[in-house]
Amino acid sequence: MGRIKNRIRRLRFDHDEMTQEELANRAGCTRQTIIALEQGKYVPSIELAFRVAKVFGVALEEVFQYEDSREK
Amino acid sequence: MAPLQKRALISLLMGLALAIALIVVFVTRDINTFATDLGFRLIVYALWIGVPVVYLLLINLTRLSKLKQVDERDKLIKDRAPKIQWLSVIFSLAAWYVILNEVYWEKGQIPVVYLTLIFISTLVISSLAESLGILIGYWRMNRHG
Repeated sequence: MGRIKNRIRRLRFDHDEMTQEELANRAGCTRQTIIALEQGKYVPSIELAFRVAKVFGVALEEVFQYEDSREK
Repeated sequence: MAPLQKRALISLLMGLALAIALIVVFVTRDINTFATDLGFRLIVYALWIGVPVVYLLLINLTRLSKLKQVDERDKLIKDRAPKIQWLSVIFSLAAWYVILNEVYWEKGQIPVVYLTLIFISTLVISSLAESLGILIGYWRMNRHG
């Protein structure tokens, strides 16, 4: 079973310390979902993942990475 | 706390208050007068209808997505809540079955008022359990992801 990691917190800080609220508004989700994403407690849909990547202006892979535990 | 979570909590607390009031009314009045006492019936109807109405107004009928208060994660949690609702209803019906069998088996019949009680309790439990299911969904997601 793999795990999906993300760099949302890092990217927020790299984008003028964007707040969770602002990211949520721009990505079209609630702040609680951004918190859950940053804590690795929620895996977003493909659509939300693309919307988050679009807010940061980067490719999807720069925000979300798939870690396959079978490769270890 | 997410907006849907807050609404589910309010719905559960208000529903519980109405359910407790309903139980108090049944305990303080003579259950056998239910069929003859119009005042008793009206109080009971107002209380039990209140529970699903509160739930519907707070969670189902309000266009939360229009208010941008719910997103895909909230919808996922809400979609899972009926599991808790289904289990609660099944267990409450099983409890009614066992209790009524044990109490009235010897007599061979049960008072008609229990049909109303079973219906009311099923509806109340169903509404409360869905709010509870939403709260459990948030709790589980925050804990385990």
